[in-house]
Amino acid sequence: MLKKALCLGLLIALSVMALAQQTSQQARPPAAPKTHLKAGDAAPDFTLPATDGKTYSLSEFKGKKNVVLAFYVLAFTGG
Amino acid sequence: MKAYQADIAKFTDAETQVFGISVDSVPALKRWSEDLAPETKGLSFPLLSDFKQRKVVKDYGIFNEAQGFGSRATFVIDKEGVIRHIEEGSTAIDPSAAYQACSMLKKK
Repeated sequence: MLKKALCLGLLIALSVMALAQQTSQQARPPAAPKTHLKAGDAAPDFTLPATDGKTYSLSEFKGKKNVVLAFYVLAFTGG
Repeated sequence: MKAYQADIAKFTDAETQVFGISVDSVPALKRWSEDLAPETKGLSFPLLSDFKQRKVVKDYGIFNEAQGFGSRATFVIDKEGVIRHIEEGSTAIDPSAAYQACSMLKKK
């Protein structure tokens, strides 16, 4: 009888642990997205305002300059 | 960002325009730029603001829907508008790979 109760107790404890692990995995934030773009793809054009008061489009550099786009997570963060 | 500032002459020499870009507003980016380079009252390359629509971070596939902002990545685009080099994650902080890609493009 005691053995049975212990077994049942252990089973319940295990299932609670498994459930807890599952929910903690769901709560974890999604990994940083991986871009769908790859080398050789056409770069999507953009038109954006900049800190120097001008507005820049990627297309205006065509045939003139290479462009490095350094994406930052948020201002005042590292890197 | 500071590393790009330090190497900006190299990029200019490789016929390359450097842009920093994030989903912050222009005033926030201006202040950040000034904080990073107080002696010159701002970085010597422009920072682009994808604040309004967050369209560019989405177009480039690095928008994190859950968090509402983009992740760290660097794209090198050649004169024909073709992507030549992509770096994602923490390694994107170091501009040397991007510079190498640019100097290769110059030789072509």
